[in-house]
Amino acid sequence: MTCAGCGATLEVGALFCENCGTKVGGALGGAVAPTTLDVPVTATDEDSPISVPTAINAKAVVVSAPQTKTCTECGGTVGAEGYCDQCGTKAATERDHFREHPAPWLAGVCDRGIVHSRNEDAMALWADPASTATTGRGVLVVCDGVSSSKDSHVASLAGARAARDVLRAPMPKGLGVPESIEGAAIKVFVSAAAAANTAVMANTAPSSESPASCTFVAATVDPVAGPVGASAAADPDVGPVAGAAPDSRWQIRYAVIGDSRAYWLPDGAEGVQLTTDDSMAQMLIAGGTPKAEAEAAPQAHAITKWLGRDSPDIVPVVGALVVDQPGWLLLCSDGLWNYASEPAAIVAQVTSAATTEPEALALALVDFAKASGGHDNITVAFARLDRAGLEIAAPDAAGSADEEREGHG
Amino acid sequence: MAEFTASVYQNEFLADGGTDVQAIVSITCSGAGTAGQTSGGDAGEIIVIDTSGSMGRETMEGAKHAAITALGEIVDGTWFAIISGNGAAFLAYPPVRSGPGMVQMDSRTRAEASRAIGNLTSAGGTVISTWLDLTGTLFASVPQVTQRHALILTDGENNEPAEVLDAAIARATGYYQADCRGAGTDWKVSEIRRISQALLGTVDIIPEPAQMKEQFQAIMRESMSRGVADAQLRVWSPQGAKVNFVRQVLPSVDELTDRRVVVNDLTGGYPTGAWSDESRDYHVSVRLPAKAVGQEQLAARVQLVVGEEVKAQGLVKAKWSNDSNLTARIDAQVAHYTGQTELAQVIQEGLAAKAAGQEELATTKLGRAVQLAAETGNDEATSKLRKVVEVENAEAGTVRLKKAVAKADEMALDTASTKTTRVRK
Repeated sequence: MTCAGCGATLEVGALFCENCGTKVGGALGGAVAPTTLDVPVTATDEDSPISVPTAINAKAVVVSAPQTKTCTECGGTVGAEGYCDQCGTKAATERDHFREHPAPWLAGVCDRGIVHSRNEDAMALWADPASTATTGRGVLVVCDGVSSSKDSHVASLAGARAARDVLRAPMPKGLGVPESIEGAAIKVFVSAAAAANTAVMANTAPSSESPASCTFVAATVDPVAGPVGASAAADPDVGPVAGAAPDSRWQIRYAVIGDSRAYWLPDGAEGVQLTTDDSMAQMLIAGGTPKAEAEAAPQAHAITKWLGRDSPDIVPVVGALVVDQPGWLLLCSDGLWNYASEPAAIVAQVTSAATTEPEALALALVDFAKASGGHDNITVAFARLDRAGLEIAAPDAAGSADEEREGHG
Repeated sequence: MAEFTASVYQNEFLADGGTDVQAIVSITCSGAGTAGQTSGGDAGEIIVIDTSGSMGRETMEGAKHAAITALGEIVDGTWFAIISGNGAAFLAYPPVRSGPGMVQMDSRTRAEASRAIGNLTSAGGTVISTWLDLTGTLFASVPQVTQRHALILTDGENNEPAEVLDAAIARATGYYQADCRGAGTDWKVSEIRRISQALLGTVDIIPEPAQMKEQFQAIMRESMSRGVADAQLRVWSPQGAKVNFVRQVLPSVDELTDRRVVVNDLTGGYPTGAWSDESRDYHVSVRLPAKAVGQEQLAARVQLVVGEEVKAQGLVKAKWSNDSNLTARIDAQVAHYTGQTELAQVIQEGLAAKAAGQEELATTKLGRAVQLAAETGNDEATSKLRKVVEVENAEAGTVRLKKAVAKADEMALDTASTKTTRVRK
């Protein structure tokens, strides 16, 4: 049995959800779909010459934050309803603040922020259990629930997890030629967005007049194996990168719907925003309005694409690049980039955090967003791409990132 | 087995810097059963009849008849006694000089008690403290009686210093409950209300002897339906918070704030007495240290406790927001009962001012009362106010004091001042 409020697993006989304090069998009212994910999602078949999606059952992966029992404000005991028995402070619930840390090089923090009463952002991360700092294959998904609708906090988490479970299957090779590989990869991301959309709709009350909806940004990281020079033959999806050491390259693929973002932040170099928002601000920018002005416009945050029952278009914009520099892949919601939209502004925060531990860095950026006002939910997920070890190169010692961007639509 | 439910009505949103949380906690009891038959102990009833010399023949006969009728409502097996009260208190029934001062109701004792009541005669003064003390002594003589209720009838002013009566009230408080009735118009409402409020009962006027029977019957029937002998309202508030007040606001306004007993560092207990199948509403106000916008916390946990068992619980919350659409709203229940509490206060103040000859103040207070009674839909208060004042404009609260007012009408307005009504749907 799961909580209608947050989706957490309930203990037998529980009267309240230990996680969010929602009363069992009450509170939300109306029909709320079960939130344990059993969404048929597609994976690709490695052996097939042409990638044909086949249905598998994705296992719901439980968010790995510990149960909060001690009040962070006064050290008192947190009661069954989720409030401190001593000072009454509402304990941060698992849904309000959770972290995932599937590998030493991949972690994220999803936080309620300051102003909003609940956390409608969601995040789902995965790393190949065999991955190391140098050979990681990982998946990052961030969904930002739209706060005007009722079940967005449940739906966004279900959507993020559904997409992650599609993306964790190895990327298909297609017919083995670059065009085919790219086409197959795009297809996987489209499937991931579709699975997320299905999960969001499954968690929308049928009678809801403002159906749950959320943004979607996802990325995969695959190491590019083999020494430079041999790579053209061994890995036809990636062109040779001059001057790079063996095993030092990663294939990053990403997809976006809405205004959650992916950034590539190479050590000691200028970062880049990989994704383009589906937002009014972006439409203004496309129409010639200066970026700063566009992002400050009254309707700037209105998004033009989203996932959910009333979505007009659930096909994401997909992109890819190969990187050979140590650095950070960042996925975040607007709760962060509202306070640091330009890559340089984010790089400044990353540099001042001075850590190579991704969870610590994600926490530092969440704290930065909260200190800046925390007006929205904040999600920050980082993948550390660095074969040489966990050291950020000093800014003056770095070369430029050798990037190769391929946009797809 | 009695069951309780609690619901909380509040606007939990506080503006930035806001500190005061108001909530109405509505507690409903069902399946209460019958007094003395569902809980561990037995029930006891004591009827106290004023036999002072001021009781006229007609009043005395009315009181006797009413008391005998009340005996008929007392369930067999219930312990009972009859007290005759004037300048001192006398045990009219059972006829004992030592040992247990109460007997169990059956057809024989009911008939004997009826005869004893019939033989009562009136003489002497009125010293109510002695009546209260004898009532307590009689209850104490039967230890198995754990649910104690008295019905007290008086007709005249109490002939003793206020502090003597107050001391007797203090001895009775928390030990037994009492409903008080005043016959005629020679008794003081404020004096008798002190007794009934402290002893968790009601006060009312019985202007005509013929009306006594019906009232006594209703009081005793109500008392017999209270199958839950005693319950405590507990209010937990967080460290650093202050409970501004706790008051019952339905079915009547009763200030409980000063009756707090310490349960633990953060929890206070307030007496609620016995329960029948009924709903009572409580207004709780807590002052918290302000927190940052976006923070949420528990402002109070309100529980109904029987013995040491928590029967129902309501949570009062606080959420700080900078959305004025959320924070500016006043909960309809809170607004309604705030109005009803003020209504009780201005009626009492208005009548006191009128009695003291301060006509201008009385007009202002009673005008405000008319306005509040109309706003909160308290039709009983409105009709009783109209017997005391001429209403020019109820909405504006403009009134004129009536020249000739029956004393009984003024007293009826006074005793009814604390009675409240629910929010109109």
